[in-house]
Amino acid sequence: MKIVWKRYDKNGPGSVKMIPEETDDLWIAYNLVSRGDIVMAVTVRKVLREGASGGRDAERVKLKLEIKIESVDYDKEGSVLRLRGKNILQNEHVKIGQFHTLEIERHRPFVLRKDVWDSLAVDALQQAANPAASADLAVAVMQEGLAHIFLVGKSVTTTRSRIEASIPRKHGPGIAGYESALNKFFENVLQAFLKHVDFNVVRCAVIASPGFTKDQFHKYLLLEAERRQLRPIIENKSRILLVHTTSGYKHNLREVLDAPTVMNLIKDTKAAQEVRALKEFFDMLSNEPDRACYGPRHVEVAHERMAIQTLLITDDLFRNADIPTRKKYVDLVSSVKDLGGIALIFSSMHVSGEQLTQLTGIAAILRFPLPELEDIEM
Amino acid sequence: MPRKVKYGVDFDIDEEDDDDVWTDYSDNESNVEVEEIENTFKADDCTKADDCTKAGIWRCSICTFDNDEGIVACDICGVFRHPMVNIHSNGNKEAAVPNKFNACPSDDFVSSSNHFSKVTLKDNFEELSSSEVVRNKEKLNVKPKTSELESSFVQLEKDEQLSICENTRSSAVEAKSENMMCSLDKQSVGADSKCSTNQIKAEIATRRSQYRPEKWMNGNQEGTLMQLNLAIVGHVDSGKSTLSGRLLNLLGRISEKEMRKFEKEAKLKGKGSFAYAWALDESAEERERGITMTVAVAYFSSKKYHVVVLDSPGHRDFVPNMINGANQADAAILVIDASVGAFEAGMDGSRGQTREHAQLIRSFGVDQVIVAINKIDVVEYSKERFDSIKGQLGAFLRGCGFKDSFLTWVPISAMENQNLVTAASDVRLSSWYKGPFLLDAVDSLQPPIRDVSKPLIMPICDVIKSRSVGQVAANGKVEAGALRCGLKVLVMPSGDSATVRSLERDSQPCDIAKAGDNVVVCLQGIDVSHVMAGGVLCHPDFPVAVATHLELKVLMLDVAAPVLVGSQMEFHIHHSQEAATVVRILSLLDSKTGKVSKKAPRCLTAKQSALIEVMLDGAVCVEEFANCRALGRVFLRAYGKTAAVGIVTRVL
Repeated sequence: MKIVWKRYDKNGPGSVKMIPEETDDLWIAYNLVSRGDIVMAVTVRKVLREGASGGRDAERVKLKLEIKIESVDYDKEGSVLRLRGKNILQNEHVKIGQFHTLEIERHRPFVLRKDVWDSLAVDALQQAANPAASADLAVAVMQEGLAHIFLVGKSVTTTRSRIEASIPRKHGPGIAGYESALNKFFENVLQAFLKHVDFNVVRCAVIASPGFTKDQFHKYLLLEAERRQLRPIIENKSRILLVHTTSGYKHNLREVLDAPTVMNLIKDTKAAQEVRALKEFFDMLSNEPDRACYGPRHVEVAHERMAIQTLLITDDLFRNADIPTRKKYVDLVSSVKDLGGIALIFSSMHVSGEQLTQLTGIAAILRFPLPELEDIEM
Repeated sequence: MPRKVKYGVDFDIDEEDDDDVWTDYSDNESNVEVEEIENTFKADDCTKADDCTKAGIWRCSICTFDNDEGIVACDICGVFRHPMVNIHSNGNKEAAVPNKFNACPSDDFVSSSNHFSKVTLKDNFEELSSSEVVRNKEKLNVKPKTSELESSFVQLEKDEQLSICENTRSSAVEAKSENMMCSLDKQSVGADSKCSTNQIKAEIATRRSQYRPEKWMNGNQEGTLMQLNLAIVGHVDSGKSTLSGRLLNLLGRISEKEMRKFEKEAKLKGKGSFAYAWALDESAEERERGITMTVAVAYFSSKKYHVVVLDSPGHRDFVPNMINGANQADAAILVIDASVGAFEAGMDGSRGQTREHAQLIRSFGVDQVIVAINKIDVVEYSKERFDSIKGQLGAFLRGCGFKDSFLTWVPISAMENQNLVTAASDVRLSSWYKGPFLLDAVDSLQPPIRDVSKPLIMPICDVIKSRSVGQVAANGKVEAGALRCGLKVLVMPSGDSATVRSLERDSQPCDIAKAGDNVVVCLQGIDVSHVMAGGVLCHPDFPVAVATHLELKVLMLDVAAPVLVGSQMEFHIHHSQEAATVVRILSLLDSKTGKVSKKAPRCLTAKQSALIEVMLDGAVCVEEFANCRALGRVFLRAYGKTAAVGIVTRVL
């Protein structure tokens, strides 16, 4: 994200002009923009015109519009942000109060005006402006007959491809079919790998699987690369890592991000912190269940007793909330920080965030045990 | 000519949403030219020289005289032409097809057909004719009474589909004149059919209980032994494949020549001791690494049983394969490595597969286990070692729910051929061991109970595609009911039907496969891509449920991570697996009484039992445990460990 200029008071009104540069930036923008904000951007609108003869012709006009946001929509696959709202800037083509949908893409500047820039929004903006923390990682999680290819960004994990094949059992008449089916499956994964993994963007590519599938595929990949002279793979051989997971499903991504070799590469990034924190939470829950809690009610009670060591919260909660609720959560985050605790805001576009969302979206590791939580209704 | 007015009624037992199509059509019909309709029919392969649709003539419903278009009443008998709509449709009788399906009273119908809409009819008509075929397919009991039809119909009645089309139309012609009466009838029939769709669920349940097996299913097969599915499980490197290979070799299933070949090849790779295992580990990858990766299937016959050996992988990464491949087992041999350190490794809490496998086979529904204490030669045939293993493991197995009376303890040595198919020859063993040898122990297993009298259910374990076009074979164990050549079966989850072309058991063709048999079923009349491992072959009238949202009763095993709402796990059921998320934890159950001890707990930890709801990423074939045990057992895994085993209590 590039910040062109910013004029705001902390916890007061103001506006910022920014240019999203990566797909991740759009996700951050999605989290920044909420209902009631005002966004100004250049857009294209189809304008109907009545000709002299009474006939109508449509024309596409480039305009600068300022709209008051009514709904925000994020397209994960296309990486587009759609902002729908009413126009508030008088214009020869568009009246005040007419609806318009702005599409924000990469490299499209826009100005965001908010009534309140709370600490969270300011933090998110600062984080976005820091380009160093990019963690782009390509991961192929596979098992015999199933493979997923993911791109793990700063705050978004996207599933680029899912390959499924039925592999017959090795014994009896199927033995010939087994080898050929496996090779065909590898070929499909290889094609998807070539299509989606761009070594100019990602730091490294990870092949993960249970058993020996990863080794088999790695061997196949290098052999085929040599045979077909696939430059990107030959040149980046050393940037391909092998990691052990327990199956080929999407949720096994957490095992990949948790693996020491991968952890070293991405250790300062948000994704890694999230994975680590969630793992800590689960460990705590199994070893000392009284020192971990989840659900808004429990967390609130724990906070009242100043017991929160680490707060885990998803960005989902901020985004969907109305202003008082959002304020409540923002206050919670800042007061946890003030009390010397750690507050981690999970991106709901990562696996760990997805898991936290399932767990009501909020959880906490406590400083001391609170056994009475067990008796409080969730 | 005599008329069968009831025809229209016979057709109209579909659900009411079909009627929309017909109503739609009747709104537009008067606007249509005869040519257009005929063209559409041609496009639909229903082309025919239809004398009946000659413009300008209508047939009296009473005396069947062909009257001129302009005349309102019959020339011969004076009966009024009815209904009036047909004046608009230019005497086109095909256009009257929808009349008979239209559930609205005929005067409504007339008025609706009078307004002219400008919609082109083509789409409507195509839709109409396709649904017409579907509906006719369903009504197999409608037989064309060609004698009553016009001669022009008769000559065309070769193709089945054509005849169906024809039939519809001819009956429409007849129904037309009695429109009023018909629609009254239809209304009542329509109401009936609605009722019946609402009651289908209840009906299936009652029908299931009313299901009577056909005679051939109960017939005893002479000269064939009962099949016994025997899983061979145990910790990695305990010698499961070697034991299976040795048994096959001793029972003459692997010729000496093959055996010598394996030995030579194994020696060349520097893995001389793996020669017997190579009989089962056929893929290059498995041989190179010296471990089994997927379940291998082999057959041998003992005195009492035709045994299907399911040689499972022991490595912990391949437990999913073991679950998928061996859960049809009736009984199991748990192979234990007696050598010092190896048994202990197998019993290790977090990494030992002996524990996990024992818990899994218990949840497969296996209660009879032969514990084969292998490599007893390595510990000098020591009785002390045997007893100490028996003591430790026995306590654990009892904890898993195995009964002492169903456990058989046999010391063996697969490499030295001790105590396998004959009593031990080495004095050091025979001096203290007086019990049965391994094959004897297999023969002394109780025959499992089979559900022959239930509707057919066969989970597909493996699909074998033959090179010849359109042929596909499904391999699996018949869990309930029976199969024979020529039988129609439903292939779930695709819901397509297929015909059994041939049956094979242990590469030998056979006529009938009954519950409990492990067979290869060649299917005919189905697309290859619709048959997949993890599917189910079932009785056409009793399709199994296909669902993504399930309520389970689970027992937590020794897990590292607690299970809470939102936990993501791998879900295994018969031969399919899917990613699953726990969406709700309903209640905690008391493990002894089964009563609810706590509602909505925060999380589940080791050894608790609970009612939970899970959501799957993709649909699987499933049945409630009470209806079908094999399709109601589930296994949940996370972080490479089996976290919970359970049963399906409700399909949501």
